[in-house]
Amino acid sequence: MKRSALTLLSLFAASGIGIPQENLEAFQLKSDDSIIFVGNTFFERSQRYGQIETAIELAAGPEITGLKFRNLGWSGDSVFGDARSYFGAPKEGRDRLDKGMTELKPNVLFFCYGTGAAMSQGTDWTYEKTAQNRAAPTSFEAGLASFLEGYGQLIDRSKAAAGTQLREVVLISPPPLENLGAPLPDQFTNNKNIAKYRDAIRDLAKEKGAKFVDLFAAMGGDDFSGDTANPPLTDNGIHYGNAGYEKIGSALVTGLGMKLPEGLVDDTVQGKVAELRDAVVKKNRTFFHRWRPANETYLFLFRKHEQGNNAKEIPMFDPIVKEQESKIGELRTAVFEAARKG
Amino acid sequence: MRKHKFSIKQGWFIERLGLVRGAALATAALLLLPFAATAQNGLRDIPDTAVEAQLKSFKLPEGAKINLFASEPLIEKPLHMNWDAKGRLWVVGSSMYPQIEPGAEENDKLFVIEDTDGDGVADKSTVFANDLYIPSSVLPGDGGVYIANSTEILFLKDTDGDGKADLRKVVLAGFGTEDTHHLVHTLRWGPEGMMWINQSIYIHTHIETPYGIRRLMGGGMWHFRPETGKAEVFMRGLVNPWGHAFDEWGQSFMTDGAGGNGINWVFPRGTWAATPGSARTLPGLNPGQPKHCGLEILSGKQVPEDYVGTMIAPDFRGHRVNRFKVTENGTSAYNSTQVEDLVSSSHRAFRPIDAKMGPDGAIYIADWYNPIIQHGEVDFRDPRRDHKHGRIWRVSFPGRDLEEKPEIEKADEAELVRLLNSNVGWVREQVIVEIRNRDPDKMETQLSSFGWAGNAKGYSKFLIRRLGALQAIGKPTDGLMEQLLSAEGIDPDPKARAAALRALYYAADSHEESKAIAEKAIADDHPRVRLWAVSVLAQLDDPDTVKIALRAFDGIEKPDVYLDFVVWNICREHKDKWLSQAEKTNPFESAKDLLFALRAVNSSIGGHQIFSALEKGEFKSDQEIADVADWAARTGTSLDPLFEFALADGRSPEQQITVLNALNDAAKLKKAVPQGDKTRLANFLKSENNGLFSAAANLAGPWKIEAARPDLEAAFLAAEKLPARADAALNGLRALGGPKTAQFLRKIASDDAASFQLRSLAVTGMIRMNPKVGAELAIPVLKSAPNGKDPHGIFDAILANKQGPPALVAELNKPENALPQEIALVGLQKASSAATKPQGLINAIQKAGNLKPMKMALTPPEMEAMMTLVAEKGDPHRGEKIYRRAALVCTACHAIGGAGGVIGPDLVSIGSSAPVDYLIDSLLQPSVKIKEGYHTVLVTLKNGDAFAGAIASETGDEIVIRDATGNENRIPKSEVAKKEISPVSLMPPGLTAQLREDEFVDLVRFMSELGKEGDFSTKPNRYVRHWKVLQPHERIRDEIGHYSEKIFAENDKTYVWTLLYSRVDGSLPMDDLPQQIGRGKNRYGVASFEIEVAAAGKVPLKIDAKLADTHLFIGEDKIELPKEGSQASIEIDVKKPGKHKITMAGLLNWGWDSVRVEIPSDATGVELVK
Repeated sequence: MKRSALTLLSLFAASGIGIPQENLEAFQLKSDDSIIFVGNTFFERSQRYGQIETAIELAAGPEITGLKFRNLGWSGDSVFGDARSYFGAPKEGRDRLDKGMTELKPNVLFFCYGTGAAMSQGTDWTYEKTAQNRAAPTSFEAGLASFLEGYGQLIDRSKAAAGTQLREVVLISPPPLENLGAPLPDQFTNNKNIAKYRDAIRDLAKEKGAKFVDLFAAMGGDDFSGDTANPPLTDNGIHYGNAGYEKIGSALVTGLGMKLPEGLVDDTVQGKVAELRDAVVKKNRTFFHRWRPANETYLFLFRKHEQGNNAKEIPMFDPIVKEQESKIGELRTAVFEAARKG
Repeated sequence: MRKHKFSIKQGWFIERLGLVRGAALATAALLLLPFAATAQNGLRDIPDTAVEAQLKSFKLPEGAKINLFASEPLIEKPLHMNWDAKGRLWVVGSSMYPQIEPGAEENDKLFVIEDTDGDGVADKSTVFANDLYIPSSVLPGDGGVYIANSTEILFLKDTDGDGKADLRKVVLAGFGTEDTHHLVHTLRWGPEGMMWINQSIYIHTHIETPYGIRRLMGGGMWHFRPETGKAEVFMRGLVNPWGHAFDEWGQSFMTDGAGGNGINWVFPRGTWAATPGSARTLPGLNPGQPKHCGLEILSGKQVPEDYVGTMIAPDFRGHRVNRFKVTENGTSAYNSTQVEDLVSSSHRAFRPIDAKMGPDGAIYIADWYNPIIQHGEVDFRDPRRDHKHGRIWRVSFPGRDLEEKPEIEKADEAELVRLLNSNVGWVREQVIVEIRNRDPDKMETQLSSFGWAGNAKGYSKFLIRRLGALQAIGKPTDGLMEQLLSAEGIDPDPKARAAALRALYYAADSHEESKAIAEKAIADDHPRVRLWAVSVLAQLDDPDTVKIALRAFDGIEKPDVYLDFVVWNICREHKDKWLSQAEKTNPFESAKDLLFALRAVNSSIGGHQIFSALEKGEFKSDQEIADVADWAARTGTSLDPLFEFALADGRSPEQQITVLNALNDAAKLKKAVPQGDKTRLANFLKSENNGLFSAAANLAGPWKIEAARPDLEAAFLAAEKLPARADAALNGLRALGGPKTAQFLRKIASDDAASFQLRSLAVTGMIRMNPKVGAELAIPVLKSAPNGKDPHGIFDAILANKQGPPALVAELNKPENALPQEIALVGLQKASSAATKPQGLINAIQKAGNLKPMKMALTPPEMEAMMTLVAEKGDPHRGEKIYRRAALVCTACHAIGGAGGVIGPDLVSIGSSAPVDYLIDSLLQPSVKIKEGYHTVLVTLKNGDAFAGAIASETGDEIVIRDATGNENRIPKSEVAKKEISPVSLMPPGLTAQLREDEFVDLVRFMSELGKEGDFSTKPNRYVRHWKVLQPHERIRDEIGHYSEKIFAENDKTYVWTLLYSRVDGSLPMDDLPQQIGRGKNRYGVASFEIEVAAAGKVPLKIDAKLADTHLFIGEDKIELPKEGSQASIEIDVKKPGKHKITMAGLLNWGWDSVRVEIPSDATGVELVK
């Protein structure tokens, strides 16, 4: 299993399959960049595979070092922050995200939203009052309009919370859904709707001066015929697995106008890449306990007067993350060296 | 050792009250104590961890035996377990709970344990996965295993046969982790082949499914079909729904680890306790019963016959496994009665948290093993937490046959169908799991062709299992539901019809006949079938759903809250289908239906139809009138017809009161008033009826009826004679307001010659009108308060508005305004338990009362010494007496086993769940640890008024707060400025300040014994625990000679009956009864209770009392008792169904010291009324 990691990715890089690019001439990473992923299950799940981070690490090239990735993806989240709100209204989720932005001081922000909203006919994907109170709340148009309104505010707010060091904001379109055959549902209509969201997100990126990656097209969404996927890249038609994320990682760096280093196909190099990816996954898990710890009720919320003293442990994860990141630095150097030799 | 008399340092030391500060002495005591170094939590009482120590501690029913099935290191801290078809037990455990430590690797484990030689003891254990994080549930199936792993449900599989997982897939993600004992849990396969998933109160879940996002904010239960990816919320609420089981008719029962309702029967779309934002919540079947983790329904031949069908629920606090008998009661729901425990233990680390029947028919109990169970109340890193041990116990009945485990995985499809009809729940559950992975076509063929050879009764059961199996393999169920419902060729059985509708519920939108089936079933003889018909309707997109659902009440006599709920709920969920139509015509079949629906959605649309029905007399009963009035008030619709109704001739005072109170609500909540001549309200102020006067007086203010002023003033001035009227008169005057009221109140408040009562009341009125002036007037009145008490609530008035505290602070800061210590202490207690945390006022009262600074916590050495005293000197029996003292008000807020108030948590098993230091802390500093579900919500209105308490219910435009006195305050959301969770407990600090040290020690000891095996565990017996006792009445002395003791049983409306609860052992001590003066030296105590019977007939009662001087009545009829002895089993002849009052009177001064009354557990058709 591990041996095959990034094989596909490397093939993409080697064969130079074209990925549509949008206004990307200037996307650039710098050493020590803090890079934040914000989105729903798409990003949350990617932590388990580490493919996206690994692809960006490698595409950044050996000269760029010290990249820090912080994955703030949250299953079922919306542009209004629904999933992050814990006990409160979505606004509390937004406040929590803003706080994270301020603390983490990102240089680069990636957003990926839209799947859940596009799958709903209307605004029932959020508890946000302004969306629910919209005229004809059960229409597709109301859903899309609310989505764009929320997304625009999210970008503006995030920029303000992140601070002046923020250089790059990238909007990634949702990837397409797959048909896996009965008894799983047919996703043909949903994909058509996601395409409409993709178009709107592209326009929004332009309006907000953000960059845009058309992951929908890159993953074959525009050519979706409704046929059953073979082999499938998702577990259930909507959530990608390891092979899927491998392809997504590759598509993403290409969409950003970056290139993976040559020579990754070699077996020895692949072994090194796998080690790197394992370290990334491990670091993500440590960071997960840092930013989204269990027992928030007692640590930080309304029962903190009881067990809030335990919150002192949470920042203790920081040096551990840092240590794991220096390991990641070593491992990526090893990949570059192996690739160069190979 | 010196006799260390240290103080109980809660609150404020008033030396003249006899409390002495004594930190220095406590320190001296400390030096002599062991464990001094471990200070913080007084590490002590760690039970012996040896298996033998636990074995010795068990108590079992006759014929039962317990043995150790598995222990560490075969397993580790078990949290949940389930069997696979091979008979292997899958156990997840967590040594990391409650929280990962920085730097630790996620290393919680999933074990597969086996008893390979069938001797009832596990001999093999394999670690299937070892990188989990607080895995709270495990469910084998689909060739692998599902694991609840914090935020995710994973599927793990061993593809290479080495016994370890090598394939991992995230199946569902987005479960919250706000509290690790609330994590997603209790996975179970249902009879329809779906996975059932529970989560607890603090968990907020956001799942992306192939059908869109699904969210569940709070506790509840999901059903999920892995192959379709469909996950839907089934029910919501319950605090910790840690148990779920299906009975053999497919009904769902749940237990709750914090809710204290014993068994809960649940159904789709229902909302139970603790559902966030719910306008209405449903009760469980055993209010006041212990709290449970796990639920299993017993079956098979290994357990005794009378155990079959009973439900076992581990009471992890009380170190026992409770058992319940659930029976039909003619409503949609059930009666549940607690019967003898399956096992109980005196070992304090025995924590049964799951119970499952095994393949051999014995019962397996997962013992989490821990002296500490909470992590909200006890520090995450408390050293007393056990992270190592864990046990699985096996309870068997050696005199009975074991089950033969069928080879389910090797069975062919025909054999599987045969096994599906097993009477053994374990077999059926495994068969359903197995057939999910069989070839659906082959399976379907066998299911359809299976020839039933049993009796007609069993045939309906078989058809239900066939139905579930077809759903499990995703095959159509054509005709089956119809057959079950029409009872064609089978024995008619409402349980089968309900099961068929439940199956239809999942498939309602794809089944063509759903509507027709539901329409027929809504008229079923049995309310439960009707309830399920409504549930099916709720799934449909059809304009008639609500019209049909409202027929569910036709011909139903017995009150049925569950049926009422589902109809109410569909009216709301399907509002868009009928409400706009109601504008013109009634979309339903009667005005009553329309009223019900309009009340459900709180709308006035089409309200003219209600009023015209009211005029025509279509609403007759007091209840119907009250419903109309309540609806009109809540919606603020045109109120004139309602007012005219009250004014019309021939109305009873009760109806008039109802209407006036509703009009008052409308004025308050909706700012709505009738348009006609409102001065006619003054007519009611002439009424002799206190209630009617008060209702009118209360309304005169908001309606601004100046003409009422003289009557109100007169009534206020007569406060001493008719206190019942004075409060309302004051309300009226205050709301009328203006200089006239101010002048009137000011004059009384500052009149030295006026009574303290009048002055106090006037001051409270003034404070609410003008806090500054009120505060100024308050000082002299407070200074003159008799006995330092504030019976009319001056401090409450100050705290009721945010401008109150600063106004009083300004007054108290004047040097001349020192307060006597007693009254200052009252004020301090009230201010300290105010949710608004008025620190400025607290400081000012301390200063003005010359109270020592607040220091409530015990130092670690003091805590050490106190715990030693509790253990060595505390007397729980004396402690219970202290607990029951009226002055301590414990019982007003807390119940023990359901007997007592509902404001605070039920203390039924507090002793077995909470360490002693926790109890001491909680008594001294109530706000430090607050039980989940009991946090105070503070609502501040735009005008500054503050309401604190628990949210009783919440709708789109109204929030109802239940305050510490049990009052429900209805608040329009439009007036709410802020709603927050207050860190302050509703329990006032300093309640125990009046106790001597030895009394405090006894009280703590009593609480520490609650729920432990012994005198203070609430027995399942149906003892009378709620009594009404007769307050002394002048009539008795004069007339008892004439009427004899029968006088106590008379329905005299001037009698005042107050609530009193039994002791934990079920007895009512006569010392607690008010004394009735009889002839000569005779003193009587009189207590009554109510029973409800389903039918006329004999009702058995067991009575413990000195029978010679005991008099018993049902209604006003005397019941003969044996003339001597202290125990009797009698039968009462009850002449008609319904509620009956039973009155007991006894001579207190002739050796009548306590009574206990019990309804035997085998008596059916009779319930105690609370």
